[in-house]
Amino acid sequence: MRETLGTSISRRRLLTMIGLSAGSTAMYQAMHSLGFAAESPFHSPIQLSAAPKGASVLVLGAGIAGLVAAYELRNAGYHVQALEYNGRAGGRNWTLRGGDRYAELGGETQECRFDVGQYLNPGPWRLPHHHHGMLSYCKRLGVALEPFVQVNYNAYVHSHKAFGGKPQRLRIVKADYQGHIAELLAKATQSHSLDADVTAEDQAKLLDSLRFWGALDGNFRYVKGADSNDRRGYARDPGGGLGGQPLFSEPVGLRDLLSSGLWAALALGEIYEFQTTLFQPVGGMDRVGQAFARELEPLIRYNAKVVEIHQDEHRVRATFEDTVAGPGRQTAQADWCVCTIPLSILSQIPMNVGAPMANAIAAVPYYPSIKVGLQFKRRFWEEDEQIYGGVTYTDLPIGEISYPSSGYFSGGKGVLLGAYIWNMLDSMQFTSMTPQERVAKAVEYGSQIHPQYRGAFDNGIAVAWHRAPFAMGCFGIWTGATRAEHYDNLCRFDGRIVLAGEHASYLPAWQEGAVTSALDAIERLHRRALAAGAGK
Amino acid sequence: MNAYKLQPVAGRCLRGGVALCLALAATEIVDAPARAATVGILDPTTLSTTDGRQIYEQICQGCHMSGGRGAAGAGDYPALAKDPALASRQYVALTILMGRRNMPAFGAKHAKGFISAPLTLNEDQIASVINYVRTHFGNRYTDLITAAEIAALDQGTR
Repeated sequence: MRETLGTSISRRRLLTMIGLSAGSTAMYQAMHSLGFAAESPFHSPIQLSAAPKGASVLVLGAGIAGLVAAYELRNAGYHVQALEYNGRAGGRNWTLRGGDRYAELGGETQECRFDVGQYLNPGPWRLPHHHHGMLSYCKRLGVALEPFVQVNYNAYVHSHKAFGGKPQRLRIVKADYQGHIAELLAKATQSHSLDADVTAEDQAKLLDSLRFWGALDGNFRYVKGADSNDRRGYARDPGGGLGGQPLFSEPVGLRDLLSSGLWAALALGEIYEFQTTLFQPVGGMDRVGQAFARELEPLIRYNAKVVEIHQDEHRVRATFEDTVAGPGRQTAQADWCVCTIPLSILSQIPMNVGAPMANAIAAVPYYPSIKVGLQFKRRFWEEDEQIYGGVTYTDLPIGEISYPSSGYFSGGKGVLLGAYIWNMLDSMQFTSMTPQERVAKAVEYGSQIHPQYRGAFDNGIAVAWHRAPFAMGCFGIWTGATRAEHYDNLCRFDGRIVLAGEHASYLPAWQEGAVTSALDAIERLHRRALAAGAGK
Repeated sequence: MNAYKLQPVAGRCLRGGVALCLALAATEIVDAPARAATVGILDPTTLSTTDGRQIYEQICQGCHMSGGRGAAGAGDYPALAKDPALASRQYVALTILMGRRNMPAFGAKHAKGFISAPLTLNEDQIASVINYVRTHFGNRYTDLITAAEIAALDQGTR
């Protein structure tokens, strides 16, 4: 345990080792330093005292961070103006529905042809129960929430290289893997291999727990029978009356499971953000951005492309172009600036900040993730396969398929998340395709898991985040080294400018990162403004 | 000794949102060289072709667009067609090796992984795609770059 380890260790194994050797506090710190397991610091709505008389703030970007900042500062009495590149609020908080047109960089325009009530959230799509800030704003703004199903034991894990390419139910892989591990550990215990580590008294408890945890039989074996089938399911489910007796199913062998690689997907649902319960706004994630916009309009100036940001001792001035009205530069100015423009774009905008912040802005490349929404003529995943919400994971380039968490049993059409691509190469290859090619590829790959795709496919829409004109990437990629060198410099005030957004958080890609970073930024702004009087 | 020296774990980690497969250690975080490893079905993938055109069309084109024409939105993706910045083959090589602002690094020493292992290109691939870009899209540079030159340039980066 103390020597240098190889290169193929898993994060989980490592964390476990840290936990075992250095205690749970060290493990938590290690997890926290990576920006995961980071619980939102949000506890209750922010309470800013009254703004200094006449103080003003310019908010750049009306995504979640900009909206939170504008909303709270406006409520505290600041004169707020927000500039937004898009013709709508929300930024990556965004939903595509039938009739929407989306023009990506490069000139391709897609028209969404989903039926009424169907939608795709190309960006954020779920709210973990511990993202207190997002949930709090949904509550305050009247955004209705419903459960989002993340883990579905009846969905699949799939490898095109295992089990003849046939998808396996998560329930079966999980039960069998756990059962075999429990049996092995029970054998090791009974053969006294663990005597050095576990006392005799504890060995008895360990065996009891293994039997229960792994669904072992009375002989500590994971075999076909009532115990295993209570987890993995039956060849014929128990029922009533004559012939109600169940038929037992046979567990998959450990060797087949190990070589399948499917075990890699088992822990995904146990990740902190994916633990039950999660929520989604009823009708689409953009209900959040819209709710903020209702509160804030007319403070938001849409179609405003910021081309320069300049500060002096007294104020901050943004120069912008109206992308609809056409050429001609305009300016907006205020005492302070909360800039939430993604670093992918901000790194290209002239702004007179010092080297520490400038270097931080330039140090964060953006992730090239992809989502594809596919509408089908019928909800075959429910009708044929009894999959109600949740996620199927696959080693195919589409990465995952997610089933809608609403509209169950509605009998009509449905929209699947047909691809959510995280693998870098796959993401870049899909980005390089036309939208039509991306949709066609998502259908082609998905039909390996659901053959019904071929007959039931209706239409689709694809969003490659590097080609989103307003984001030019999905979210900022931080590493331990870049965080150590640049993160604080990114978050600190430079003169009268402070940055906010998921990129200025330890919750990369999550809206909660945008919320909590905005709240932190405006609290500091407010203290400065109070110290400076009216800010003049 | 309590510092576990580790490399990033790879793969199709399939998870929306948070850091999964970064380098991790009890007392230090090791970022480079980022190296892929296999974790079950979360297999990393690498580009096998060394054909400059194919590399361009599968990777670079995502942002720089077909024909190297670039694009403009809230920010820009620089056009590579008739791009005077391409005059220096070393500049292009270092940009690909180390990344620049929004553009990810593709050199193994600099590439950043996140959810997935970083995508890296080897010296042959980088030389090949540079030579392709500098002789297409209206560019007519005759001084080709070699894999050895890429490797030498990479040695000087940190």
